[in-house]
Amino acid sequence: MAEMIKLFVNGEEVEVESGKNLIDAVGAVGIEIPHFCYHPALGADGNCRMCLVGIEDGRPPLVPACKTPAAEGMKVQLDTDKIKKIQRDMMEFELINHPIDCPVCDQAGECTLQDYYMTYDGVSSRMNVEQVKKAKKLDFGGGVVHDQERCVLCGRCVRFCRQITKTGELGIVNRTDSARVDIFPGRPLNNRYALNVVDLCPVGAMTSADFRFKQRVWFLKKDEGICHGCSKGCNIFIDHNREKYKDDTIYRFRPRHNDQVNGYFICDEGRLSHKKENEGRLLESLKNGKPYNLTESYVLAQKAITNAENVLILVSPNLPLEQLVATQVFAQKIGASLSGYSDGYIVKGDGDDFLIQDDKAANRKGLELLGINTGGDFFWDSLEKAECFICIDNELPAVDTKRLIKALRETKVIALSSHHFNLVDQAFVAIPVASFSEYGGSIINCDGVLQSFQAAVVKNTPIADVTEVLRRLGGPLSSAPEVLAAIHRVEGPLAKVDFNRIPAEGLKL
Amino acid sequence: MEVKILSAKFDIENSHKLEVAKEHGAYATLEKLFAMEPADVIEEVKKSGLRGRGGAGFPAGVKWSFLPKDTGKPVYLAVNSDESEPATFKDRYILVRDPHMLIEGIIICCYAIGCHDTYIYIRGEYTSQVRILQQAIDEAYEAGYLGDTVAGRDFKLEVTVHRGAGAYVCGEETALLESIEGKKGQPRSKPPFPAVVGLYDCPTIINNVQSIASLPFIIDQGAEAYTAYGTEKSAGTHLFGISGHVEKPGMYELPLGLPVLDVLDKVAGGVWKGRKLKGVIPGGSSTPVLTAEEAKTATLDYESMAEHGTMFGSGGIVVLDDTVDIVALVKNLIDFYHHESCGQCTPCREGLGWMLKITKKILAGGGSSEDIDLLLELCDNIEMKTVCVLSAACTMPVRSYLNKFRHEFEAYVEKGASLQAAGIQG
Repeated sequence: MAEMIKLFVNGEEVEVESGKNLIDAVGAVGIEIPHFCYHPALGADGNCRMCLVGIEDGRPPLVPACKTPAAEGMKVQLDTDKIKKIQRDMMEFELINHPIDCPVCDQAGECTLQDYYMTYDGVSSRMNVEQVKKAKKLDFGGGVVHDQERCVLCGRCVRFCRQITKTGELGIVNRTDSARVDIFPGRPLNNRYALNVVDLCPVGAMTSADFRFKQRVWFLKKDEGICHGCSKGCNIFIDHNREKYKDDTIYRFRPRHNDQVNGYFICDEGRLSHKKENEGRLLESLKNGKPYNLTESYVLAQKAITNAENVLILVSPNLPLEQLVATQVFAQKIGASLSGYSDGYIVKGDGDDFLIQDDKAANRKGLELLGINTGGDFFWDSLEKAECFICIDNELPAVDTKRLIKALRETKVIALSSHHFNLVDQAFVAIPVASFSEYGGSIINCDGVLQSFQAAVVKNTPIADVTEVLRRLGGPLSSAPEVLAAIHRVEGPLAKVDFNRIPAEGLKL
Repeated sequence: MEVKILSAKFDIENSHKLEVAKEHGAYATLEKLFAMEPADVIEEVKKSGLRGRGGAGFPAGVKWSFLPKDTGKPVYLAVNSDESEPATFKDRYILVRDPHMLIEGIIICCYAIGCHDTYIYIRGEYTSQVRILQQAIDEAYEAGYLGDTVAGRDFKLEVTVHRGAGAYVCGEETALLESIEGKKGQPRSKPPFPAVVGLYDCPTIINNVQSIASLPFIIDQGAEAYTAYGTEKSAGTHLFGISGHVEKPGMYELPLGLPVLDVLDKVAGGVWKGRKLKGVIPGGSSTPVLTAEEAKTATLDYESMAEHGTMFGSGGIVVLDDTVDIVALVKNLIDFYHHESCGQCTPCREGLGWMLKITKKILAGGGSSEDIDLLLELCDNIEMKTVCVLSAACTMPVRSYLNKFRHEFEAYVEKGASLQAAGIQG
């Protein structure tokens, strides 16, 4: 626990953490000090001058809050006429050369300039001379589109590429009001985290080619989720919307701050993986690759399972604990072998020392803690023997296809699948299941942090999740408490976890 | 009125050469220097009252004593030779005509503060200064005044000339450090101050060329000999570069404290062409202007200039005769500072450009009385809200012109032309 100190803001005593700068210290107790350039992950730069605050009896009496550590007894002034005027003045300087065309700006609705104008400014423009003209719609690479006229030169993007990715593609060129953020000629953004500059940008200068002009942000529902792109489990916002006469659709993922997992950022692959929630989905049941009635499909699947002497169930390492344990109980009931074979999810050498992991499985630690066998030999041996193979959402990436085809020659394949994976068309019966944005659950990341998440998207025609599908196939678990009870029966660290009280930043097991 | 301390060797042929300089006393103080304790050197400089000659006038010895002790880090000296303030051309005389006086000063300073690495930061376009200075440094190395054993003593000193890329802002001491470090020349936020966290995060002293060049005399002759010149709070002599509308523009070394008008008349030959005086820029373009009336009571020292609402500055005096169009002058002035704004922080980056455009509008006859008020307000809104004082270097003089010569701006607003062109008496 950090040491607490007392200081005064506008004459009121507040208790704040020592060692932090004024923006963070005072911000933690709900008092906003406006700022553009400061970002907790990038440190203080002091260039925007928006956070200038008065310090009563201070030397100097006017300081940038981002560069000023909170000190015992300090008397911070935010609501004096002098400070309010300075905030208005800084806004005026930010705005004189800024295009005032918010209605056509993609940032509108989540723009710091807009918000601050409403909170701290609110006066009419006095600009009656020609504005500075700069370049617009610059392709910076990495899916980032830059508008130099909207830029407030806070330098967050530049500092991100220098301090975080250490790739240094961006710089501010030229002096005075000709200063602008730019790339070096012919050297575009080339790092796997580039799109974070879009979130870091407080204004509409950095936009994502993937998202820009797709949605007005005030229509988006912003639900919390966990990225399933790799085993890091980065915290995200799932921004989605159901337009009139259309289905609930995800438009973007954005990083959600969690110091225990991903800090303030996510990788670009994870960010763009929102597309996978919309594209390539298995939305209807199939028999031998052809659409088939869902109820009848259940009947066919049940028969195939009952008639088989040996059944092998293969689960995806992305499934949450709840669905895995439901599968486990189901497998026990029907006497099936259960495999979590997923070596193909590991892409050796792909990870880095920041967020991206080699292992693309979101819940491998969960498989391990539930004691599900992930071995290759066990999988292939069981597959050779199986008369019925139930593949639950496992993509079987990088699998030995020839060996798979050979092993499945005499086998009835039942695919419970969120997406139109390869095996789906070859399956005797394929039944759609929900993907991770459509259900809630708990997963454990590569560092052993247990995180839970809720369903974000509700499709017009909701798709059942794995637990529900298995129940319809005769699985014994029919309610959430039953599922949790089943997890608690597993020996090990999961036995004592209160799944209703997992902290927001996750539970380190 | 003129004195010859700093400029003693200026008129000697080939004075930039070691051989000639030595004949006239260069490096003669080192014997005495190395017999002193470093702390005593600092004490002597404090007693001399030597104030920073870069423009701010901060006492040099006091600045040195801000260096933290026993940090385990090296101490650096950066000699500021950026000299980019319009109307200022004093340091170039030292660099070209007596570079060994500067090197000798560097040795004195470094011995006092325990520094073994000095960078002389010089504006890149100053090619002849760089060439002559580098020759002098090479000679000094060869003669053993620089290097592992300075003047045969157990004292190591390396001096490196660092050429800037030509930016006014790099004369701001922390932008200068950034530039030496190979970064874009942009001022740092203070605190921390360079004496604590300076070049490469080490304790650093930054002094102007003339400040350092004043040291040999102070050590050689003693603080009292130095304080014999000037006033109580403005000790010693200063190189004054007098330019503008005078009969004899040039570089003159004068003791501090002389009346402005006496200097103009007796040293610089008076206002040229028999014209009347309109105003005096006392110390470089960033110092607020003195009207002819104010100049009557002003003397060339720090206190008097402060009393007159301006600053002593860099010794670059510009004389304005009665034909000067103040609005055009202000446009030029803002143009310069706008162009030189590093673009880092918002008020300076955006504000100076706005002020320039408003002034151009007034100059083109399209301005209004509100525009003049807006200019005045913008001066207040920008000044002291920025990372460094570059913006203040613009707003302080601009405010002075707006307040003292407002009628000239009003003439443009009302008649669309200057006072002179509109046929109105100034």
